[in-house]
Amino acid sequence: MPNVVTANNLRSGAVVYLGSAGRWVDHLIEAAIASDAPALKALETEALRAVESTEVTAVYAMDVAVIAGRPEPTSVRERIRAAHAPTV
Amino acid sequence: MYRYDDFDRTFVAERARQFRGQVARRLEGGLTEEQFKPLRLQNGLYLQLHAYMLRVAIPYGVLSARQLSQLAMIARTWDRSFGHFTTRQNIQFNWTKLEDAPAIIDALADVEMHAIQTSGNCIRNVTADPYAGVAADEIEDPRVWAEVLRQWSSIHPEFTFLPRKFKVAITGAAEDRAAILFHDIGLKIVKGPEGETGFRVYVGGGQGRTPYVGLEIATFLPRDRLLSYLEAIMRVYNLHGRRDNIYKARIKILVNALGLDEFRRQVEAEWATLDRPSIDLPAEEFTRIAAYFKPALLKAASAKDADLDARRHSDTAFDRWVRNNVVTHRQPGYKIVNISLKEPGKIPGDASADQMDAVADLARRFGHDEIRVTYQQNLVLPTVASRDLAAVYDGLVAAGLATANTELITDIIACPGLDYCNLANARAIPIAQEIARKFADPVVVQSIGPLRLNISGCINACGHHHAGNIGILGVDKKGTEHYQITLGGSPKDDAAIGDIVGPSFTAEHVPGAIETIVATYFELRRDSAETFLVAYRRLGKAPFRDALYGTGAKPAATAALENADV
Ligand code: HEM
Ligand code: SF4
Repeated sequence: MPNVVTANNLRSGAVVYLGSAGRWVDHLIEAAIASDAPALKALETEALRAVESTEVTAVYAMDVAVIAGRPEPTSVRERIRAAHAPTV
Repeated sequence: MYRYDDFDRTFVAERARQFRGQVARRLEGGLTEEQFKPLRLQNGLYLQLHAYMLRVAIPYGVLSARQLSQLAMIARTWDRSFGHFTTRQNIQFNWTKLEDAPAIIDALADVEMHAIQTSGNCIRNVTADPYAGVAADEIEDPRVWAEVLRQWSSIHPEFTFLPRKFKVAITGAAEDRAAILFHDIGLKIVKGPEGETGFRVYVGGGQGRTPYVGLEIATFLPRDRLLSYLEAIMRVYNLHGRRDNIYKARIKILVNALGLDEFRRQVEAEWATLDRPSIDLPAEEFTRIAAYFKPALLKAASAKDADLDARRHSDTAFDRWVRNNVVTHRQPGYKIVNISLKEPGKIPGDASADQMDAVADLARRFGHDEIRVTYQQNLVLPTVASRDLAAVYDGLVAAGLATANTELITDIIACPGLDYCNLANARAIPIAQEIARKFADPVVVQSIGPLRLNISGCINACGHHHAGNIGILGVDKKGTEHYQITLGGSPKDDAAIGDIVGPSFTAEHVPGAIETIVATYFELRRDSAETFLVAYRRLGKAPFRDALYGTGAKPAATAALENADV
């Protein structure tokens, strides 16, 4: 399955995704998609740098479904995170 | 209530200063997350799904109006204008930022509050009977002892790194309103043979993955021996608790592995080695602390109030509220008022900043400046004159806080679940909302009678589902949210862990399943005086199981069966 890398902004705790060129973005739709292991490795290396520079925390890679070129969450948990809000 | 002395004030201010430094170092990169996480947790700061969450201690659930107003101010300034009252009588702010946390901690310290020991493997905030000091059935005010325990356990050097978290609950009343049998240590103030007071001590209760009802380790502990006895229990646990396995690390596992008799033997052996006079509370110190909790001098007031009776007669909603939410105070002419945070369709336990201010204002005007938080996630005004009930009610109506459902099926206890919580399997809040909507008719709710309904979003059981008359537990089944239903739990003196009734349901079938369970109870109860719990104990789970899953099942339940993962 394709992956994106997600984290929480260190200062605010808000959900962020690793986008292109090492930029952290708020919306999953702007996240960089890794479709194979080397691409994921590259994203994770980039993310680690952002952890060290205290930009983000709690980094992990997550599965996404790519629908019409856009990443979509595959679990309820990631849907809720991506919405930046509870469902209630 | 208790007021900080110089020692307390200096200590809390010093901790706030330390925390500010720790946050600054984290933000500058001087501390890694691994180094910082235990420090932030020691100050109640978690990282949740969407933001940082700050858990603020409300010692034994007691708040002054000024403190509640300050919580409202914090909610407005640094959160999204609301807070979540929890089953541990605390409040959680769900949308805080790390960079704001030091300012919030300072604002708490300004009103003698903090977030110390609301997380981590230490003795957590002691919980107590929310009617402490005013209950008609009380032997002695447990707040004095709860405050003693707070002081004893705060940064106790030996008990700061226990095998796991440790929760103590205390009551001084005949009826258990603090769920003491579901705590690591439960304390009940009782009368001894000579009429003197002491403690009945229970140990090893808890919920989570392996629920246990606490066992009686001491029938009557002389009151002046409490601290050394607790210290002996803590020492045995600290030494032998399973540090190798987080799921087996709570004291309940140790007590059950050793057996109560062997555990008691070890505690007594340890107790005998302690230098008790250096640990036990000197009588003067008890007197000093007790002075803070001296009952308010209440003007004598008539128990009969013609205006109150007239209003009850003419206003059915008011009458229902008085019947359900207002209970007997130990002094005639006064009442205990329960404020429900469970308006059907709303989030159980949430209060907006405006609602907090409204309650604080009512407490100032009519409630001797006191508010309590209950583990059912509601608020209480412990002392209101009967003649002021109508004014309090009108104030609550204006604030959207007059729901008349205390201890009824819509008084649902629910954890934040997957909408906020990092550990959740499933959502809890929308399930609570849907069930409450099904039971929106207050007349129906009244006719069902007392019924505890509890929901947790995972097996950690923060929503006390094991102890619910009806319990709902969120589980993850191949990536979809499912809900397991238990029946027959009780958090009270007749404490019991609910029985799993059958295979789990998907979210959309849970409200229908609850309706089926309630309809079955209605059909089979002897009369309206037989509560759900009593009927369940007589009937067992068979008729409920049949109604939910059997051939004669109602349509909703049959559909649920098809969806259930058997
Ligand atoms: C930040 C969100 C939370 C986290 C990470 C969390 C974590 C946990 C964990 C891991 C346990 C299981 C402990 C064990 O079995 O050893 C637990 C139990 C419990 N929590 Fe929470 N919890 C959270 C929120 C809450 C809330 C919102 C409440 C109140 C509504 C609460 C009250 C309790 C209670 C009453 C228990 C069960 C009693 C026991 O300790 O056995 N927690 N929690
Ligand atoms: S029971 Fe589970 S989902 Fe609910 S608050 Fe506790 S840890 Fe989170």
